[in-house]
Amino acid sequence: MNATETGGLPPRPAPEEARIPAPHPTDDPAPKSSVKRKLLIALGVYLAGLIALIAIYGFKGHRNELFKPQNEFKLESWVDLGIFSINKAVLYLFIAAALTCVTMIYIARRMQQRPNKVQAAVEALFRLMHDNITASAMDERMAAKWFPFIGTLFLFILFSNLVGYIPLPTNTENEINVFGLQIPSFSLYAATANLSVPLVLALTVFVSYTVEGIRAKGPIGYLKGLIPGGVQGGMAVPIFFLEVLSNLMRILSLTIRLFANILAGHLIILFMAGALAVILGSAWLGWFTLPFGIILFAFEVGLVAALQAFIFATLTAIYLGGAVAKDH
Amino acid sequence: MLTALARDLAAPLAANGSFLIKPGVGLMVWTLLVFGLTMVLLSKLAFPRISAALERRQKAIEESIDTAERTRAEAEQILAEYRQRLQEARAQADEIIQRARQTAEVQEREAKERGQEIVAEASQRAQREIEAATKRALEELRNEVADLTITATEKVTRKALDPEDQKRLVEEALREMDFSGLSSGASNN
Repeated sequence: MNATETGGLPPRPAPEEARIPAPHPTDDPAPKSSVKRKLLIALGVYLAGLIALIAIYGFKGHRNELFKPQNEFKLESWVDLGIFSINKAVLYLFIAAALTCVTMIYIARRMQQRPNKVQAAVEALFRLMHDNITASAMDERMAAKWFPFIGTLFLFILFSNLVGYIPLPTNTENEINVFGLQIPSFSLYAATANLSVPLVLALTVFVSYTVEGIRAKGPIGYLKGLIPGGVQGGMAVPIFFLEVLSNLMRILSLTIRLFANILAGHLIILFMAGALAVILGSAWLGWFTLPFGIILFAFEVGLVAALQAFIFATLTAIYLGGAVAKDH
Repeated sequence: MLTALARDLAAPLAANGSFLIKPGVGLMVWTLLVFGLTMVLLSKLAFPRISAALERRQKAIEESIDTAERTRAEAEQILAEYRQRLQEARAQADEIIQRARQTAEVQEREAKERGQEIVAEASQRAQREIEAATKRALEELRNEVADLTITATEKVTRKALDPEDQKRLVEEALREMDFSGLSSGASNN
């Protein structure tokens, strides 16, 4: 409104209701209905896709005998060095070790008095390893001695597990052609999903706590210490053998717990993300299981990877603490 | 259906997946080497620095807490001193006020007494002055009356009076006149 329109008078102030600012888009209860609408759209797309795939390819598929999902975990020698050949598992070991070292050293060199979010997370992880896992199972002197071992175990397993959920072009059995270039197809693999890796780590733990126990009590004392306090007489002999067996079983339990969890996690993600559909030849099945695959992927990354590392490191600390304890 | 599916899937895994549960010595050695190297690097370059940083922060936090506690103790001490001084100041102020009040009362009483004295003195002085004035006025009146009496008597008798007659006449005239009213009226004023 200009002066001419108002007859030379100054423009009148806008009415009260006109000056009230328009409600902000986030002020109304729209987000809730927006999420609901998005979920309904996703469900609609999911069902529509399912119906379309059944309509196009049919319900019953043709079994695929050629595809073998277990071959995703087969180790092909890339660089032949005899039994020390470089393969996919070795590559994943290197990647996990490199990521562990680079991350931790990078953050360690940039420790500040006022931490940022990443530093705070690493500090929380460090306190978890040091205070909750190591120091809670042994005395201060022993914790200082064994923390590097237990901390490295935790981080190494954690990074190995997490790297395993990043799709990398490591499947040399099935290559894809990109502008004439044959590159390995992307796959999920983890070094810890191979029996050898958890086994050697478990063996290292076994040797470590046995040596520590013998150092603390002497060979005879350590063996005697395997018999629980209060067991005497004829019962001591079978109990002793049971305890020796139990100690050896620790190697298996540590190994299989980690190996089986990670392998099973990868296999189930693989099946849900399409392997099942490929084996059974049903296109709709792949579409049907995909959401479950995504949920399982998130579950494995968010919980299983860290939990298995935590369990392995915690049991290691407990075994080490138990090996030198007076009443073992 | 699910059982059949599981059986169908497990069969090839069991038949062809034996490599999954077969440990490889080479990979085990690689694992040991890589793990060992990682442990050495972390224990030399990462863990001590993180530990030192955390200890430094812990120390800084403890120092901050100690400083805060010291400051709080000092503040409490200062507050206690301040309160004590305030209490003393209040007591002193009360004492001063009390003393001032007493002094004021004494001065008031003295002033009142002095005022009363001054008033009494002024009153007495005025009384005296009035009495003197009255006395003077009476004297003047007496003289005037005497003169008038003599004059009147001379006019009536057409002869001059000797001093003895004058004296007697005046005394008689004055005896007949009552000046006590004037005198008392003046003293009342």
